[in-house]
Amino acid sequence: MSVGLNLLLVATAVFFAVGTFALVARRSAIVMLLGTQFMFAAGAIAFVAFGKFGLGARTFSAGAAVALFAGGIAVAELAVGLAMAALLYREQRNFAVDADHR
Amino acid sequence: MPLIGALPHPITSAPLVLFIYLVLILMVGSALASVLLRNTLYVIAAFSASMVMVALLYLAIGPFLLFAVQLLVFATVSAALLMGLLRETTGVKASTLGPLSREGIIGAAVAAAVLALLVVVVATTSWPTGLIGNAGPGLGEALTNTYLVALAVLVVILASAALGTGLLLAAPTLPSLRGGGSIRGRGPRR
Repeated sequence: MSVGLNLLLVATAVFFAVGTFALVARRSAIVMLLGTQFMFAAGAIAFVAFGKFGLGARTFSAGAAVALFAGGIAVAELAVGLAMAALLYREQRNFAVDADHR
Repeated sequence: MPLIGALPHPITSAPLVLFIYLVLILMVGSALASVLLRNTLYVIAAFSASMVMVALLYLAIGPFLLFAVQLLVFATVSAALLMGLLRETTGVKASTLGPLSREGIIGAAVAAAVLALLVVVVATTSWPTGLIGNAGPGLGEALTNTYLVALAVLVVILASAALGTGLLLAAPTLPSLRGGGSIRGRGPRR
């Protein structure tokens, strides 16, 4: 048993699919935002994996740097998204993004 | 051109392999839990656990600085933001949608299609591998030299996001046409 590039890429694909499911299937703005976080994290893990095992092995820190930047952008997106979710809650008293259509 | 160094080998150390497998399972499991659970507090707890698992994965395959930043900054800030939102909106109702609702089935189908596509790409592509032996500078050195501009831009983006979040939360909102509008100072519904 070993851990290589393919295993990590498959794991990130599953992680990305979970984020996609949250984005498509759920109405809650919070869960949808968390879905985007999972998608960001999946991409970041793939970069680190490529840095460790793939072409990036020559410059190992490049993949990690991209993961760091992706994490920072994800946190910024989460902050603004949650502020918008708070405004949504003040207006509608729930987090459903399509409350007008129910 | 002579090849210098060796191809990067997979990780074969048994304890490390078991650790990575465990972390990957827990990471995906907690992500699924945060998507499927109905209680918002449990959702946030599962999300935080998932982010901690990502940090542990970084510990296994990435540089230590990335693990520290992911654990101490990203996971903590995300959990703090979510908890702050939960405190502001106490009284969140659980979703009324069941797991077999129309949205759930469509979402599962889309997610399965995306997963199948990604797995096919991963399985059928022969990823080029590089050489080890000239690993280059460390992450800290690379951030302060090669990626200095990107780091500065990231700081600006984070500061802008913090400012924008503050302005959004401080802005007065218009009364709702449905009568449920927000009047600042009313406080959360209990």
